[in-house]
Amino acid sequence: MKICTNHKLLSSLIVAVFFILSLKTHAQSDPSGTRRVSSSYAITNATITTSPGKTIQGATILFKDGLVTAVGTNVSIPKGTDILSGDSLFVYPGFIDGASSAGVSRPSDPERPANFDSSNPTDEQAGITPWRAVLDHHDKQNNAIGDWRKAGFTIAQLIPDGGMISGKAAIITYGSGYSTNILAENTALMARFRGSRGVYPGTPLGVMAKFRDVYKNAELSARHTKLFASNNGLNRPEINKTYQAMYPVLDKNIPVIFEVSNDLETRRALRLQKELGFKLVLSGVTEVEHLISEIKASNAIILLSLSLPEDKTKSKEDATEEYKARTTRVKEAYQQALKQASLLEKEGIKFGFATAGSKSGDFMKNLQIMIENGLSENTALAALTIHNAENLGIQKFAGTLEKGKLANMVITTAPLFSKDAQVKHVIADGYLFDYETKSKKSATESSNTGNTSIAGEWEYTSDTPAGSSGGIMKIEGSGSNLKGIITYDDPTGNGTAQADMKDIKVADNNLSFSFNVSAGGMDIRVNVSGEIDGSQFSGQISLGEFGSFPMNASKKPTSLNF
Amino acid sequence: MKKLNIFIAAILTLVWIPTQGQTNKGSVLIKNATVLTVTNGTLEDTDVLVENGIIKKIGKGLSASNVTTIDAKGKYLMPGIIDAHSHVALDAVNEATAPITSEVQMADVVDPFDVGLYRALAGGVTISHAMHGSANAIGGQNITLKHRYGTYNPEDLYMKEAPRTIKFALGENPTRVHGRGKNIQPRTRMGVEAIIRNGFNEALQYKKSWENYNTALKQKGATPIPPKHDARLQTLVDILDGKIIIHCHSYRADEIYALINTCRDFGITNIVFSHVNEGFKVAPELAAYTMGASVFADWWAYKFEVYYSTAYNAAILTENNVITSINSDSGELIRHLYHEAAKTQRYGQLSDEQALALITINPAKQLGIADKVGSIEEGKQGDLVIFDEHPLSVYAIPQMTFVDGVKYFDIHDDADDMRIKVSATDTVEPIFLKEHDHNCMHGVDFFFNNFGRSLFQHSH
Repeated sequence: MKICTNHKLLSSLIVAVFFILSLKTHAQSDPSGTRRVSSSYAITNATITTSPGKTIQGATILFKDGLVTAVGTNVSIPKGTDILSGDSLFVYPGFIDGASSAGVSRPSDPERPANFDSSNPTDEQAGITPWRAVLDHHDKQNNAIGDWRKAGFTIAQLIPDGGMISGKAAIITYGSGYSTNILAENTALMARFRGSRGVYPGTPLGVMAKFRDVYKNAELSARHTKLFASNNGLNRPEINKTYQAMYPVLDKNIPVIFEVSNDLETRRALRLQKELGFKLVLSGVTEVEHLISEIKASNAIILLSLSLPEDKTKSKEDATEEYKARTTRVKEAYQQALKQASLLEKEGIKFGFATAGSKSGDFMKNLQIMIENGLSENTALAALTIHNAENLGIQKFAGTLEKGKLANMVITTAPLFSKDAQVKHVIADGYLFDYETKSKKSATESSNTGNTSIAGEWEYTSDTPAGSSGGIMKIEGSGSNLKGIITYDDPTGNGTAQADMKDIKVADNNLSFSFNVSAGGMDIRVNVSGEIDGSQFSGQISLGEFGSFPMNASKKPTSLNF
Repeated sequence: MKKLNIFIAAILTLVWIPTQGQTNKGSVLIKNATVLTVTNGTLEDTDVLVENGIIKKIGKGLSASNVTTIDAKGKYLMPGIIDAHSHVALDAVNEATAPITSEVQMADVVDPFDVGLYRALAGGVTISHAMHGSANAIGGQNITLKHRYGTYNPEDLYMKEAPRTIKFALGENPTRVHGRGKNIQPRTRMGVEAIIRNGFNEALQYKKSWENYNTALKQKGATPIPPKHDARLQTLVDILDGKIIIHCHSYRADEIYALINTCRDFGITNIVFSHVNEGFKVAPELAAYTMGASVFADWWAYKFEVYYSTAYNAAILTENNVITSINSDSGELIRHLYHEAAKTQRYGQLSDEQALALITINPAKQLGIADKVGSIEEGKQGDLVIFDEHPLSVYAIPQMTFVDGVKYFDIHDDADDMRIKVSATDTVEPIFLKEHDHNCMHGVDFFFNNFGRSLFQHSH
């Protein structure tokens, strides 16, 4: 009896355990059907470019659990492998983004107290937040990530948004939504020539001086800390998180990424590097033609901007002689801007590409323009893959397609930079993403704009000579029946104000509206116009006789987008 | 004239070679000119030879092989005009966020593409003093620029041998920006003085703390803790140590006299007053205790503190032995400073030599570069202007302008579009908007004065 009881007990225990196990299994049964059947894939009989200049015809690539296990023409495919027929497909290493702001939001500025002293702000109010980690301000569900992945990107260094020293970058993959996707944290310190509105430092003048100040005092703080650790009878060091966050830069463990928008800014970053001696990455580089020797001497890593200027001088029929004469040099400047990448290649300067500040919709078009203007396809691919792997220090496991590297690739219907090429699949972190390809005719249509609704909440920033400012645009309605409210930093210096958005017009991808700012009894009409690309807006904010300034906005994702 | 044209072509090749590292130095022989030396009278029918950027010889019947020769018969040769107060070729002018910003450096924001430099050359100006604005009691460190227009590298414009200078400002601008605009000190002229005195006193303490540290460091086995680094105070220390010349925006006699007293208290002698509309009231004090005054010829009444003014100011100051210069503070006036100087002959009957000194050797003295430029003397730098008439004549037009013996302007080779860099997206150059910016309160009005409601035009 005793045994029997025990047996009963045992069996009921077993049942209970099974029940629990089965519950767990049930929870993992994936009713939505999104879980993949196998993590093992083979792409067969494809044209595989393993690294720039190395292409194998009729080859197979095998990868499992996010790792490439074999590439070549003589690959045996184990059982349980999901086979993707690569006939007529072209496989390339997945693109690596040197500096991306996809899904990165700008932390809101701290409230300014009523008795705020603009000459002596806290570091945070001044836009100096080197302790911030970009991943704390990153939305991995953001549409922009999907847009860039669709363009072929699989790994990106995320750069934090903010003031002159905004925080630390991180490297992520664009893989499964179930993973954190983090490859490395605190990979670089992000800096910009961006003043803080109405606060010291407010202009490039102040930013240059303040950067030196932060750097030199971080050095002194480090020295004090070391002395205190190894000696008796010393005053304790004042712990300062700004300085502490600068230590990895002082030790040259991580570089400073300086975002630059023209040659003068590039020179300013180089000037600071020469004086202070940090490792430098220049991001968003343009206008290199008169900087070649300086760039070579600096050993800085170059991340070239993927955006190109718009051709404002397209031949028009009613062009007068006066117009032609006036725009000849504008045209030359435009053509020169297209040649920047090829110029670097000719000079033997290694560079990578960075997407920050550019649009995913223009990505392949701009690359094709650069290639038409002298950039070789191999260098273009290298700048998207192996060069950036080296720039980010991840070449050990990324940048090429070979055994032992992470399974990141982009698969196209035609050779990568040809006009007909469309991305059919992207493998990111071993996960397969499929994309619809279109027949030739419709392929030219823009894919990620069209019926995008502009209604929603947009966060914008605008850079003016007196610093950066920003706010929220709330837009309701659709079609010609749009209403909205915009908030902006009060020009008198304190708090925010808001105004109704007037004449909101959306035509093609263009959004324009205006609003009135009243300050000191005077009304100023502010005009905004620019282009919408998915959830991104970039354009100009025009303040009458005070001039026009760049303005960028991104739409806050609504829960429906998840 | 024919000969002149032939040589233009020869020199052209010299002018537009982009500079790498070292700045261009040229050689040129200018023959048969009426040479206005400024420091050594007028030399009729005289030749000036510049070799490798330096005036080698002044005399008659000079010859040199392999050197471009220009026949300037019937023309006037004067030293390159020097503007002691300018904001041309700067990307930013005011860091208007704190009453003392002595750590900021205009050298960081020099814009070599500013076509204003070329316009200045067309007005015979070879050197300008690119200054911080007047928003702060103690503004930023200025940079003396040689107008080597055509380079992409801002550093090619720096006059590296010029001493450091800094901008100070008194009166309405700093009290308006900080006191009225942000409700912090200074709100009155008393506050401005207090800001400056407190700054110097803090600088003395700062200097002491580093001296103590460095002394302690020398002792064996000592482990002193370094003080905090403060470029703002270090710059003020350098002023107290006589390494930096102050150029102070000022108008009223009382504030000028007050700052003279402050400087005397702190043992500072390197100070030049700018604008100085009431300078004529304190001329003996300016002569005794300062490096002089840099004034407008006849510009006033653009705000309350500038009502008590006279066109005789420069003449009164000159006759009272104040080192006096006439400046532009404007991208427009800089094109005809020779006219501005000539006004002192109408208002004050200054001699030719006195009037020319106002725009040549005197500003050179105020910038600490009079041993190198400001007059036509052997051994000085080859900064020269050829005029068709006497430069103090209303009919005078500059013909050619040389910096370091290199020709940067020639009226016979003056293309419509002399911009260095053109935007790929601006089909209309915002010339008016940009010209508007070259002034003392650049970048301040919009954000600190209710969109510039009341004082937008009042920019000095």
